[in-house]
Amino acid sequence: MEAIKLCCAKCGFVVEEYTSVELTDNPRKAKRCQYLLQKSSICPSCLASGRLKEVRTQVDDNAIVGAKPQPAPGVAAAHEEHPQSPTPMMDAISRGSWPSHAAELKKTHYPLQMYEQALQKRATQWGYGGYVSLPGVAAGVLVRASARPDITKGSNFLRIMDPCGNFFKTDAMRGLCDIADKYAYGLLHLLSTGGDLEMLGIPTENLKPAVDEITALGFDVGSTGDDYRTSEECIGPAKCDLPLYDTLGFREAWYKRFLEDVQYPRFPHKFKCKFAGCPNDCVRGGQKADVFVCGVFRDLPIVDQPKVAAWVKGGGDISTVCTRCPGGCLTWDAKRGLGIDGDSCIRCMYCINKIPGVRPGGDRGVAILVGGKLRGKYGPMLAKVLVPFMKAVPPDYKEVFDLIERITAVYDEHARKKERMGDFLLRIGMVEFFRLVGVEPSAQLFDRPRTNLYYHWEPEEVNAEIAQRNIAGQSVSKE
Amino acid sequence: MPGIGIPPLEANLPPIVKRNYGKWISHQHPRPGVIKHDSESGEACFTVRAGMPPNARISTQTLRTICDLADEFCEGYFRVTQRNSCEFVGVPENRVEQLIARLAEMGFPVGGTNRSLHNTVCCTGYLHCHLAATDPAAIMKAVSEMLLHEFQNDCLPAKLKISGSGCLNNCGESSTADIAVIGVHRDLPPIHAEKLKGCELPLVISVCPVGAIRPKGPGMIEIDPKRCVHCPACSVACAAMAPIGSPDGDGVAIVVGGKAGNTGDGPAMAKLVVPYLPNNPPFWPEVTAVIRKIVDAWSANARKDERVGEWINRIGWEKFYERTALPLSFKVMDNYDARALECAKPNVRFTW
Repeated sequence: MEAIKLCCAKCGFVVEEYTSVELTDNPRKAKRCQYLLQKSSICPSCLASGRLKEVRTQVDDNAIVGAKPQPAPGVAAAHEEHPQSPTPMMDAISRGSWPSHAAELKKTHYPLQMYEQALQKRATQWGYGGYVSLPGVAAGVLVRASARPDITKGSNFLRIMDPCGNFFKTDAMRGLCDIADKYAYGLLHLLSTGGDLEMLGIPTENLKPAVDEITALGFDVGSTGDDYRTSEECIGPAKCDLPLYDTLGFREAWYKRFLEDVQYPRFPHKFKCKFAGCPNDCVRGGQKADVFVCGVFRDLPIVDQPKVAAWVKGGGDISTVCTRCPGGCLTWDAKRGLGIDGDSCIRCMYCINKIPGVRPGGDRGVAILVGGKLRGKYGPMLAKVLVPFMKAVPPDYKEVFDLIERITAVYDEHARKKERMGDFLLRIGMVEFFRLVGVEPSAQLFDRPRTNLYYHWEPEEVNAEIAQRNIAGQSVSKE
Repeated sequence: MPGIGIPPLEANLPPIVKRNYGKWISHQHPRPGVIKHDSESGEACFTVRAGMPPNARISTQTLRTICDLADEFCEGYFRVTQRNSCEFVGVPENRVEQLIARLAEMGFPVGGTNRSLHNTVCCTGYLHCHLAATDPAAIMKAVSEMLLHEFQNDCLPAKLKISGSGCLNNCGESSTADIAVIGVHRDLPPIHAEKLKGCELPLVISVCPVGAIRPKGPGMIEIDPKRCVHCPACSVACAAMAPIGSPDGDGVAIVVGGKAGNTGDGPAMAKLVVPYLPNNPPFWPEVTAVIRKIVDAWSANARKDERVGEWINRIGWEKFYERTALPLSFKVMDNYDARALECAKPNVRFTW
């Protein structure tokens, strides 16, 4: 079998790649190959105009096209050695002792001039983008138009949901690499800040086959548009000594219950759920998540006095920990050991993080916070407590998931289009939201009581209160 | 066809993690970039953390090399952390140094644990986005280069997280970081009348956070130039109002003091300290100089375990501006609607 590469005659950038089998079997591809060869075009990498060069190489029949590390004949060399490199800015960024994204781009099919020109002109060269659906694939495909049709037509990418804990078996990752080489630029975005893996630069006609191969490999696409976005969890019991519930198992159960809502957009706006194992909040859910499930404990931290004493003796900095305790509730005495004042301990995890021998206390569960976001209409907002404590019971976490479903239902019914949870809460007020979801007041729900003394009573509330008092008064007078 | 969900939990967990799932009792930092977890079974798990290219943007070629390393050193598994580092979990203790040397050969520095610079996080910027006002990936590359020593050594008062976003959409989670850059536009969004037909005008009007977009006759809108805050909300909602920005109008703002955990002063969003710096590719020297100033002032003056935001809370903004010698501007004060007085000082507790 032969591999046919259509390269730039000047710099050797591979524009398209076919196998001889493909060209005989697939008339569409053969036609496109002929068309590209006859047409004068501009190289996406060095901007030289002219006809493409055809390079034929013998390959093993079993090899997948492009599965080997992208050879890109002479491209890397051309970029480094060419006296007038077509990508001077990217070359500058490629150097240095920190790994460079520009150097990575050069190893792929990414149209380098899109980035180079952006840097030179100080303006992005991409055009309008958004989410689209394919038949059978309602979410997971993103398109990005090009503002420079002379360099590239635009590009699509797929959003793949990460496995729990972002652990990858190398076989699975190599499988994704094969798909990226075969259908896309050969460039991956390993972890977007939303928690997905993105595969970039898939031509429209390759989207469906790429999705099929990804699902055959055991991964799935989704998490675009106005639906539940991929949920993110902290590393939890897999590699941490602090989690208060099984975040990885929780996320897996969440997917079992809510997968449809990750793949079929139907809400007013995107909706993010994040799960942190403890108040250290390694997923930054308190800032990013519409629903944030945070592990909490209610008993005081458990102190293993001999272990703490050994740590102090070994040079542990106990005085810093005692001064920096936010509640000011730690006392250290060589004889009596470490003391914790139960009234001011806020269960923040600080002493637990710093002192070996102090462990989270018992009576563990989760707190549910709502409305965190970084953008939306009114800018960044921290999530607010909706339910301070509830039990998270495996394997199906029914109580917690029912609550998440109720929150989403209220949001779905009352929020306006393109209104994030936080903006919705700002508009209707937290008290109204408590009423809609059905939450009883508790002292953990507020930061502080109000200073503004103008507040409202419903006539029914007043009448009910008076009636109550009258009944109580009557029963007293009878006695 | 989609519909299968995420891979089952066991499929991608390394054997050492499966054996000790939920049984870890403590962790230590034997050297920068290496974490040792102890299990109640007595087993110890060594994790080596390496920095990755900004934006976790990686070619399949490099990724295959990482896979080879994972096969060789830790039974064929690796993971990506929340801050875009690459972690090799379960490396045998006697091979840790060897793996670090191999990563160094590949050009991947090891570090980012404990009291050091943790790996940077950023959005795609110019690489693949139509809204970007700046290129955070290139800025993060320059910043990582500048702070390489801080990444590889536990030499800071507390952990330091630096992030970058290309625009106010904040995809690079700038507001959560200790120090962050965020791309800002300063131009009005364009109105391409011929494309307006394809837009949902009531939606375009309602997404504007300041009500600067108004109807102007049938099928037409106008922008109040006095109110516009140059966010990309309308450019996202409507193709006729994109692209926003211009080479000389766009630039970078700097925010500080974001934090997620409940320790110290609790979770906080970052605050704006420098409203505008020009875009100056490929190394953004003005931006890196400001970050250098803030890091230096913080590491010289903060107490142990005091994150940037907590240090500022203790010393106050007057001292922050004095120590960092950054220029002051009224742009850093909010002046909109209900938040108009939020940034004004309600007392005379000054520091001079």
